[in-house]
Amino acid sequence: MTEAVRFEDVSFQYLERSDFALRHVSLAVPEGAFALVCGATGAGKSTFLRAVNGLVPHFTGGIFSGRVLVEGRNTLEGAPRELSDVVAFVPQDPGASFVVDRVEDELAYAMENLAMAPATMRRRVEETLDLLDIERLRDRSVRTLSGGERQRVAIAAALTPGAKVLLLDEPTSQLDPQAAEDVLAALQRLVHDLGMTVLLAEHRLDRVAGFVDMAIGCLGQGRVIAGGPADILERVQAGPAVSRLGRLLGWSPVPLTVRQARRMAQQRGFKPGRVPQPRTPSQGPVLLEAKGVSAGYEGTVVVKNVDLSLRAGEVVALMGRNGAGKSTLLRCLGGLRRPDGGSVTAGGAEVEAGRDAALCPQTPEDILFKDTVGEEVRATLQAHGRNDGAPKILDALGIGHLATRHPRDLSAGERLLTAVAATVSTDAQVLLLDEPTRGLDGHTKERLSRFLRGYAAEGRTVLFASHDVELVAELATRVVMLAGGEVIADGAPREVMAGSPVFAPQTARVFGSDWLTPEELSGSLE
Amino acid sequence: MHPGAWILWSLGAALVTMSTTNPFYLLPVLGAAWAVHAAHRTDGPQARSFRIFLTFGALTVVTRTLLVFLLPSSVSAGAIVSALLEGLRLAVLLTVFGTFNSVADPFGVLRLAPRRFHEPALAAALALSIAPRTIASVARVREAQRMRGIHIGRLRALPALAVPVLETGMEEAVTLAESMDARGHGRGRRTRYRPESWDRPSVATAVAGVAGAAVFLVAMTRDIGLSVSTFPLSWPEAMPVLVLAACVLALPAFLTPSRS
Repeated sequence: MTEAVRFEDVSFQYLERSDFALRHVSLAVPEGAFALVCGATGAGKSTFLRAVNGLVPHFTGGIFSGRVLVEGRNTLEGAPRELSDVVAFVPQDPGASFVVDRVEDELAYAMENLAMAPATMRRRVEETLDLLDIERLRDRSVRTLSGGERQRVAIAAALTPGAKVLLLDEPTSQLDPQAAEDVLAALQRLVHDLGMTVLLAEHRLDRVAGFVDMAIGCLGQGRVIAGGPADILERVQAGPAVSRLGRLLGWSPVPLTVRQARRMAQQRGFKPGRVPQPRTPSQGPVLLEAKGVSAGYEGTVVVKNVDLSLRAGEVVALMGRNGAGKSTLLRCLGGLRRPDGGSVTAGGAEVEAGRDAALCPQTPEDILFKDTVGEEVRATLQAHGRNDGAPKILDALGIGHLATRHPRDLSAGERLLTAVAATVSTDAQVLLLDEPTRGLDGHTKERLSRFLRGYAAEGRTVLFASHDVELVAELATRVVMLAGGEVIADGAPREVMAGSPVFAPQTARVFGSDWLTPEELSGSLE
Repeated sequence: MHPGAWILWSLGAALVTMSTTNPFYLLPVLGAAWAVHAAHRTDGPQARSFRIFLTFGALTVVTRTLLVFLLPSSVSAGAIVSALLEGLRLAVLLTVFGTFNSVADPFGVLRLAPRRFHEPALAAALALSIAPRTIASVARVREAQRMRGIHIGRLRALPALAVPVLETGMEEAVTLAESMDARGHGRGRRTRYRPESWDRPSVATAVAGVAGAAVFLVAMTRDIGLSVSTFPLSWPEAMPVLVLAACVLALPAFLTPSRS
C-alpha cells in the first residue's frame, strides 16, 4: 500500500520556545486510512496536523528539520497553497475560516484559486453538495449556519479541489451528539467510498474510536507515535467510556466500541452486581427560580415558558440540540437579559448579573485580559470590593502553580480553569457554565468535575450546558433537557438519559439503564 | 441578480435624492428603498444593519432640525422647514445606502473587480466583514465581563473589553489567513465560478435606477424647481412626471423575483 503521509525524522520548535513541539517524529499514514490524532490539550495535535500541509513551518515560522511528504510531495518545497490540490485543512473554528459569504461560492473558492475550468467547478460543487448533504444550504450566507451545518460546509469547501488527504482539527467539539454523528458519518463515507485519507484531531472519542483504523498519539514534549487505536489510546491515557470500563474490569484488550464491549461481556458471561443507589434529588433551599420564562429575538421565540428552580447542593446539566435555546436560557438565568415573559429571581428579588449569578463563557478568552493568572482572579475580587482568596481558589482548581504565568501561554484546558477561577471569585450563589468542557482532555475534565462537585457541596448551585453525555452522566445530579426552547425532561440523569437513543452514555448502552458510568458499574461489584 | 444591477440602481436612487429637497419626490424614493429592501434582503449580518441605517436617518432629521435652534441665527418657519427637508434628504440617502448594503453581497460586488485587482478587492471585502464581527465580539465580551461583575463603562475598565476583543480579532484573522493559504489563495492564475449574468431581472433593476435618475437629470438641466422655496415659505409643487420617475425606483421590488 502506498503512503499518503510520511514524516521522516521531523523536529520542530516554535520561535521563542525552548521545548520541542515535534521531536524526531517518524511515521507513515497509508492511503485510505482514517486516523485519529489524540493526546492531552497542548500536547501538539494542532502542530502535527499543520505540519502535514505545510502551515508548519511556512505559516508559523520556527525551526524545522527532517521532511514531511504528503502524497509524495515535500511540504518544504512550496507554500501550503501549492499543496491545496492534494491536502485539505479544516481548522477548529470553521466560522472564522470562511472567505466569501454564500455557501456555494465558498465551495468554489479553492477551485477558483486553482484556475479550474468553470464546467469542472460547477460539477464538483454539485457533487460535493450532495456528498455532504448540504444542497439545501447552497444559497445561504455562511454566517447564518448552525454549528453542524458550518462544519459540513467547511469540509465541503476544503474538499472541492479534489484533495486526497483531509485534515480536521476537532470537528465535533462544538456539536450536539446527533450533529457530531452526522459529521463523522460523512467523513466515513469519504474514506469508504472515495478512498480518501482522513486525519482527525479529537478529544471526544466516544464515537470516533469505533470509526478509525489507526491512531497517532501526541505524548507531549514533541513525541508523536502511530499505531493501532487501542494501543495508542492506552498510551495517551484516553479513550471512550467503554475503554475505561474495560480497564476497570481488567478486560484485555480493552473494548473501543459499545458493540465490542457487549460482545466481550457476553463471552465472559459478565454480570454486573447490585444496582447502585439512585442519586437523590437535592432538598436544599431554592437559590434561583425561573417562572414562565420566555425570550426571543426579532419575532422568533427561542425560550418558551420555562419553569426551573435551582437548589443548593445541585449540579444541573442543561442539554439539547444546537439551537435548542440553551444559551438564551443561560443569559436569562444569569440576569444578562430580562425575559420577555416570566421572571428569574434569586432570594426573592430579580437576579443580578455578576452578583447573584456568575457565568463562565463558552470561550474563556472572552474574559481573560490581565497579564497573569493571579491578577485575573484579583480583578474579579476587586470588582466585588474584596482583596483576599486568590491563592485559595487557584489551589482548589489545581492551578496554583500557574499564578504568575500569562494566560496566553497556557494550554486550552488551563485557560478554561483560569476563567472558571475568575468567574467563581464573584462568590455568587449560582454558577453557570456554557459548554465548559469542549476541547478539553479527560484529565482537565476530571479536575473541573471535582471542583464543581465541591463548589456545589458548599451550599451553592451549579448549572452547566453541555453536549458531553459522559461528563453529564458522571457529574450531574439532575438533567434538564431542552427542545425547541421548552423543557421536555427534568430529572435524575438515570431517568432522563439512560433510555434515550441519542443521550444514553456508553455504560448504559452496554449494561442497561441502571448504570451510567464505568465507576458506578465497577463499584457495583465490590 | 447581477451585483452591477444593484450598483446602478443605488447610484440612480442616490442621484435622485441628491437633486431635490421636495418631499413629494423624496418620500417615494424612501418608500422604494424600503420596498426593495423588504423584497430582496439577504440573510447575512450585513442585511441586519438596515435598521441601523434607518435609525441614523431618523437621527439626522432630528439633529439637523435641532441645529436651527442651537445656532445663533433667527428661528423662522422657513429655516425650520429648510432644515427638516435637508435632514430628510440625508435620511433618504442613508436608507438607499442601507438598502444597497442589505441586498447586495459585498463579496459579490467585489467579484466584479477585474482579475488583476482581485487581491485589493478581497482585502476590501474582508475589511468590510470585520465591522460586523467586531460589533458582535464587543457585545459578547461586554456581557461575559458583566457576568463576573466587571462593568465596562468606566475608562478604567476599558482593557477588560479591549484586550479580549483585539486578541479574538487577531486569532480570527490568523485562522482566516491560514485557511486562505491552505485553500490555494495567491497562486496567481484564477478562474471565476458562475459569474452572474445580466439576466432580465438584473437589466430591469438597472434600468429602473438609470431611468429614474435620467428624468431628474433632465429636470435639473431644464431648471425645473427641484428644491422647495423656504424664503418665502411656500407649499411645494409636485410634477406628476417626477413623482412617477421616483416611483419607478420601486419597480425592482415588484417586477423581479426575490432571492429566496
